[in-house]
Amino acid sequence: MIPVPTDPPPHDVTSDAPRDLAVHTRGLSKHYRHPWTLRVTTGLADLDLDIRRGEVFGYLGPNGAGKTTTIKLLLGLLRPSGGAGWLFGEPIGTEASRRRVGFLPEQPYFYDSLTGPEYLEYAGRLSGLDGREARKRAAHWLGRVGLGARRRLPLRKYSKGMLQRVGLAASLIHDPELLILDEPMSGLDPFGRRDVRELILEQKQRGVTVMLSSHILPDVEMLCDRVGVVLGGTLRRTATVNELVASQQQRVEVRCVGAPLVTIPARWHGTIDRFELPEGTTFVLSDENDVNDVLAWLIGAGATLRAVTPQRASLEDFFLSVAESQGVDGRDRRSA
Amino acid sequence: MSAVAPAMRHRRDATTALVLGALLFGAAFVLSDAAWRRLPHPRPLEELAYYPSGQHLRPATLGHSETAADLAWLRAVQYYGEHRITDNRFERMEHVFEILTSLSPHFVPAYVFGGFALAQEGGNFPAAERLMLKGIEANPHSGWLSFELGFLYYVRPGGRELKRAAQYFELASYQPDAPPQARRFAAFARQNSGNLAVSFELWREVLKTSRNPFLRETAVREMRQIAQAIEAGRTTTGGRPLGVPQVLLTPR
Amino acid sequence: MNAVLIARNTFREAARDRLLIAALGAGAALLSATQMLAPLALGEGLRLTVDLGLSGITFIGLALVLLVGTSMVGKEIDKRTIYNLLSRPVSRRSYLVGKWAGLAAALWIVALAMGAALVLLLLTRGQAGHIPSVIQAVYLAGLELSVVTAVAVLFSAVSTPALSALYTIGLFLVGQWSYDLREFAARFPSGIRTMCEMLAALAPNLPVFNIRTLAADGTVAPALHLVIATVYAAAYCAGALALATAALETRDFK
Repeated sequence: MIPVPTDPPPHDVTSDAPRDLAVHTRGLSKHYRHPWTLRVTTGLADLDLDIRRGEVFGYLGPNGAGKTTTIKLLLGLLRPSGGAGWLFGEPIGTEASRRRVGFLPEQPYFYDSLTGPEYLEYAGRLSGLDGREARKRAAHWLGRVGLGARRRLPLRKYSKGMLQRVGLAASLIHDPELLILDEPMSGLDPFGRRDVRELILEQKQRGVTVMLSSHILPDVEMLCDRVGVVLGGTLRRTATVNELVASQQQRVEVRCVGAPLVTIPARWHGTIDRFELPEGTTFVLSDENDVNDVLAWLIGAGATLRAVTPQRASLEDFFLSVAESQGVDGRDRRSA
Repeated sequence: MSAVAPAMRHRRDATTALVLGALLFGAAFVLSDAAWRRLPHPRPLEELAYYPSGQHLRPATLGHSETAADLAWLRAVQYYGEHRITDNRFERMEHVFEILTSLSPHFVPAYVFGGFALAQEGGNFPAAERLMLKGIEANPHSGWLSFELGFLYYVRPGGRELKRAAQYFELASYQPDAPPQARRFAAFARQNSGNLAVSFELWREVLKTSRNPFLRETAVREMRQIAQAIEAGRTTTGGRPLGVPQVLLTPR
Repeated sequence: MNAVLIARNTFREAARDRLLIAALGAGAALLSATQMLAPLALGEGLRLTVDLGLSGITFIGLALVLLVGTSMVGKEIDKRTIYNLLSRPVSRRSYLVGKWAGLAAALWIVALAMGAALVLLLLTRGQAGHIPSVIQAVYLAGLELSVVTAVAVLFSAVSTPALSALYTIGLFLVGQWSYDLREFAARFPSGIRTMCEMLAALAPNLPVFNIRTLAADGTVAPALHLVIATVYAAAYCAGALALATAALETRDFK
């Protein structure tokens, strides 16, 4: 794909760039034109995104939605087709804009022949640390991500999880003010994921802004203050996690025994799901407002109640509902 | 199927492949040896013979014409050595030395060796003369080359060219790298004496100073012949250098 | 400063990938071979050693450039290690200069090591008079390799590793033949002649780095020759890297 040539961003944009925002974009776009058919594909369309200093922002979307495109545009790895962006007030694509940023790419690759400490020192020095400071921090961060015991091992012998940890350490070694993490949990076992979550929370407490791109929604739900959902190259919605979840209806799960033969009354058809299990019957109510009536009916029918459990709507539910409403089935849009 | 069977199968496959590989390499080894013994070998200078001239070969050396000349020199020496002990025929010699000296015009020993080989064993004085003159043109300040050309004119089998010999000995004497006797030999040649003793001295000079073992061998041989001729009261040693068995002079 | 860091890392990678050792080993093997062939050279063994040694620097260096230099940028893009660098406050220009400098440094090490071995051989054979011309020839060989490396980095930034290698070999050949090309051009009518002359001028003037003929005779080249060659090499390398930067500036790393 060849990038569509563009007009350069407007001059003197820094006067428009609020410095209290870690990330600020206006109309940021990326289009590709096929070299033979000349068909234009949109990687990202008119992104207006603001991420405040100190917040943890989740950037959600299925594969090919534009999450990585956004990140690469912010970091200058892709040149925008249109619009503009700033990181801490510095225009994207400049060295100055990257000075305070730490980046963990999806599936990080490193120089095979270097050891962990060597790579981290190299990364730190490239980000402006002097040699001694870089070595000191490399040792600290290597231990912090649980790789302190394998100092002499070359990176080519690292497992996927170990590479992910090194990548994380490299993104943090220079004390960045903005952390951009693209699928940070990928390749990690549950212990690793827990460690990463702790690291992110630790950075948040230090006031570091975190932009977390993921499609693992429970992690995002746990860590993020705000979430943006991108589908088909467009940012569909941004809101806090609570706002998003609250907009979904709560479900309630009722477990009971002695109700195998009861028939669900017609008025509740489609709103109550029923599951017969060896230990009893479970009814899932999609509308929490029906709880009292359902309980009364079950008791009246002779069932013995065992548990009534509200099920908090999840981000996943929200995400799927947004996707369905936009007519997007979440299949990867990226063509060959 | 048990869990052991796949592992055994892999080991068996590996062993089969190893045995097959060893057998095939063994067969190749035997064939190679047979080819070496039975089939005709490519002659070392075949490839050079196909090039029209050294000037055309130069671009192909990609700026490394000196190295190419050295490799050609090794082949030329090998060629000379082989034919010297077999049939004493040096058909490709002129062409090879032409290429060699075109690749490396300042490679003075190549002109000297080529000149001697062509004049003496090769029996082709005109070719030797052409080669030496080419060398002098490319290296006008080489006293050594001028001296050696004078030498060749002086000892020329079938008739000395004393005037030319004197000219080149004299030319040599003006150059910084000439042998110190150049002026003396110029005088001898001008005297038109065709003196065998002078020839003996010239060959002794070669024996003393040349780094080339073939040339030193030739010098020893020539000195021996001259000594015999002087003893027998002769004034020449004859047309061709002695010591080459007649039976080898028959055409192929 | 970033360019220096990247250069050091590039050199370290070449050393750790054992390419440097292999190159030095090849050089040692070549010089050993010359010592074994020397007795067959009828007294011209020293000339053989110097010529083959100097040619070896060029060809071993060229092999390294083709193996490493032509895929340097392309490989980093494919393996995405380039993200680690360019997502930091590192300019694409520093990146390219660093990559070039690292590989050129490795090649200079090979040239200097082989040069030192040649000087040692000359000393032990009592031919110290040839040493200055050999040192000059080694210096110019190092400059030649630096220029070819810059060409390889340029192609590596715009093309795939395989095509880069072909383009680099192509430009190397045109460069070696640039003087022949100029002479050849003189036979043609003015349009084609101008085109050929331009091609010869644009290709790297590699014959300017070739004083092997002088070194074979122990003749020292004038200082002006070295100065011109050095300035030319610097200008050509800078030009190639500038073009590489221009190409990389607009490149997207998907």
